[in-house]
Amino acid sequence: MSQRVNLDLKNELFLYGAKEWNQCFQCGNCTATCHTTENGFFFPRKTVRQVLMGLKKSLQTNIDPWLCTYCGDCSRTCPRDANPAEMMMSIRRYLISVYDWTGISRLLYKSKALEIATILVLALIVMILYLLYTIFPSGDTAQWIGSDGGALINKMAPWKRIHLGDWIMAGGLVLLIITNVFYMWYKIIFEDKSVKVRFIDYFKVLLLFPKVFFPEKKYAKCDEKKLFLYWSLHLFLALSYAMMFTIIVFFLGWFQTDKVLPILHPQRLLGYISTLGLFVGIIYFYTNRTIKNMENSKYSHFTDWTFLILLFLTTLTGILLHFFRIYGMPQLTYITYLIHLMVLVPMLTIEVPFSKWSHMIYRPFSLYFAHLKRMVLLKHTLIMDNSTQQN
Amino acid sequence: MEEKRIGVYVCWCGTNIANLVDVENVSKEIQNLPNVVISKDYKYMCSDPGQDLIVQDIKEHKLNRIVVAACSPRMHEITFRKALENAGLNPYMFEMANIREHNSWVHTNRTEATKKAKDLIAAAVSRVQWHESLEKRTVEVNPATLIIGGGISGISAALEIANADKQVYMLEKSGSIGGLVANIDLTYPYLNSAKQMIDHKIKTVLNHSKIKVYLNAEVKQVTGYVGNFETTIKQKGKETKLSFGNVIVATGLKPFDAKKVKNYGYGKLPNVITSVELEQILKSGLIITRDGRVPHHIAIIHCVGSRNDDYNPYCSRTCCMTALKFVNQIKSALPKANIYDIYSDMRAFGKGCEELYSNTSRKNVMFLTIDHKNNLPQIKQASYDDACNLLIEFTEKFSGESIEVPADIVILMVGMEAHENAKETAHSVGVSMDGNGFYIERHPKLDPVATTTDGVYVVGTCQSPKDIPDSISQARAAAARILATIESGSVNVEVTTAVVNEEACCGCQSCIKVCPYTAISYNEEKKVSFVNEILCKGCGTCGSTCPAGAIKSKHFTDQQILSQIEGLMSLQEVLE
Repeated sequence: MSQRVNLDLKNELFLYGAKEWNQCFQCGNCTATCHTTENGFFFPRKTVRQVLMGLKKSLQTNIDPWLCTYCGDCSRTCPRDANPAEMMMSIRRYLISVYDWTGISRLLYKSKALEIATILVLALIVMILYLLYTIFPSGDTAQWIGSDGGALINKMAPWKRIHLGDWIMAGGLVLLIITNVFYMWYKIIFEDKSVKVRFIDYFKVLLLFPKVFFPEKKYAKCDEKKLFLYWSLHLFLALSYAMMFTIIVFFLGWFQTDKVLPILHPQRLLGYISTLGLFVGIIYFYTNRTIKNMENSKYSHFTDWTFLILLFLTTLTGILLHFFRIYGMPQLTYITYLIHLMVLVPMLTIEVPFSKWSHMIYRPFSLYFAHLKRMVLLKHTLIMDNSTQQN
Repeated sequence: MEEKRIGVYVCWCGTNIANLVDVENVSKEIQNLPNVVISKDYKYMCSDPGQDLIVQDIKEHKLNRIVVAACSPRMHEITFRKALENAGLNPYMFEMANIREHNSWVHTNRTEATKKAKDLIAAAVSRVQWHESLEKRTVEVNPATLIIGGGISGISAALEIANADKQVYMLEKSGSIGGLVANIDLTYPYLNSAKQMIDHKIKTVLNHSKIKVYLNAEVKQVTGYVGNFETTIKQKGKETKLSFGNVIVATGLKPFDAKKVKNYGYGKLPNVITSVELEQILKSGLIITRDGRVPHHIAIIHCVGSRNDDYNPYCSRTCCMTALKFVNQIKSALPKANIYDIYSDMRAFGKGCEELYSNTSRKNVMFLTIDHKNNLPQIKQASYDDACNLLIEFTEKFSGESIEVPADIVILMVGMEAHENAKETAHSVGVSMDGNGFYIERHPKLDPVATTTDGVYVVGTCQSPKDIPDSISQARAAAARILATIESGSVNVEVTTAVVNEEACCGCQSCIKVCPYTAISYNEEKKVSFVNEILCKGCGTCGSTCPAGAIKSKHFTDQQILSQIEGLMSLQEVLE
């Protein structure tokens, strides 16, 4: 079935990122220089063509933007400065909005004002709920100081209540992201009639585990050598984030204690390490995006900044909260806790299912799907090769 | 008979020959051949001291035949003939043995190559004994010029010649001059008006005192030779006799007939039009479909009838940029229209063309690629639901995606073809045609303006598809050549022609059929063939065809060639 070309799709895609793709004269340099390209898989030229031709259906079932490591070799060597790498990232944003069946993601990506308004409204709701369900330290703040000199945080914001809130929010977000991943599967595997995936294949491909889930080693082949630092810090940031996330969602009772524990206690040590990971990562990425010293930081969509700023504020208020608590400043602790939540909750609500954070889920899944498709296709071509040889 | 005194000179050509041929040994052994008076070797025979050596030896040793064993005669035969002339010897008393291209450059064994060099020189020595003196001949030049074709090429050449105060006869098949350029709206790459450019020139030509324009005219057989051509022009039953010294063929092109490409449905689908028709639409200033609506989608298909063995194998060179010109014109006329440019390779070779492509590619035009050889698009009528007139279906080459392109108007970029009657014109003026019907220039690189017939020049698109600047350059180059010929007043004609021995001629006329230059005619009275020595190029075809052996090609007589072969075969015997 042939697809109708569409000149307008390109204009819609402009809202998701870089602008000048008309310059492409289809030389194929991007594919030649790309280290993710394999024989028979025309990466990233194929995506560029789909964008330029406005083939909506092909683009929506395209998995390639998720496989891109954004080393920037293609953009750096593009003879027409058409920025194929940034185009891949723009298509990622587009795909996030495609996988989101609620349509909220599309609205947020397209409108900066709406995104900011949503953040503010969510922050307001969090403030109201917080004021309703926590206890403000009274004027006689002495009673909020523990025997070890730290502020009694659980007296102000009992961890069980916060935990309950956590779980309600996490439940909603997980539900959204799981349904989105399911829709992604529907688009990428189910709608693509060229691959017939059997049930057993979903398990067989797991044997390729290291290849599937640690593709970043491909960075090593790229020309940009600064990428090693980039990749390491990204990993550090991601692991720190995951650790902090796990602690807060599953072990808040262990983490949020009234008693100030010794500095080498695992509670504080893990907290410090993951905070360091977050802080260093955020500063590094913020600097990169500001001074634009690498291909992958030259172009920033406003949602890139939103994520970084919200994550930075969350980390900063987290650090302040910690110090206000251990040095026994109950009122500041209380207020900082509120601000922390006012930043954290909108960030997770917007970013997890609808925006940039979701690449944490989509990228592993896309790698999984890509290897799955590849395995099936290769088997298919292998059979075809054999049959032609017999003929 | 005079005594034959031959001088042989073996050239080292630096190391080119000396590395693989033992030149000293060769010249020593050749000395022993009969009639060889002296034999020398020298580092560069073509250098001034090398030539002086020959001149001095001719005077000192009373040499009357010279053999130089060096490079190809194409390279330096003229050089050495001049040296002979300087020494007072007839230049045709010379023979060259090619021991570089035919020997040292292509062999690796020194012993064998040295032996071959000796054989080749012996052949030359044997041949040169039979050489005869031939005299140079010149003819006077008629200063008038006939230009066939009144397009931009013909006009440019005509003005150049007429402005030098020389008579020009311009012949135009149609009722007006200006050719195809007069039909186009804007020119690429700077989008200048073609009308502004050519109107002034047309007026100048029509009013020029030195240019006589014959409209609706046809040319009959052009007879004569360089400097002295004659023809009769047919014009509405009226016949005019003209005589002139040079001819410029500028008959131009014919657009490819798009009906031949069945896939595109041209002729059946009313909104499929050719680039020629679009020019008319653009000139009228209103771009609408055949049913009078403003088009929303416009598709342009390149390479229609070009670069495909089913139609024409060559590239027409101008269609890519013309298509981009259309894109720009349509964009400014209909800014909201979607334009699809369906091409197979974007050829933007000319000055300002890459810039045109670069600028156009930023104008939100969809560029799609096709396989112009094996997988042409299919154009079909769209249904009501498609919200467009036509659908173009094909596999996009780069992505491999099966796509359909909506279109209200499809523009077919038709290529350039030679006229149907190109062959007749070729025959009447005596130029040759290539497989595609374009006229052949004398040399593809070194002489792209003249033809193998002296005094006949080919310019513009009748020689190959080309754009306006290239056509004008070629036209003006031809004009310059003709003016130079006129200025010199006379031209040299070929000396090594064929002659008929009337005693031996049986009157079979085989020679007339094979002569590529129509140089041989039949004398009814004497019942023998006659060679016009001015038209004859000395190709030798008649000589080898003649069953009676009655035709002698000067400088290539049977005697000369047979002794050359004898010399080649018999060296060892002679020396032993």
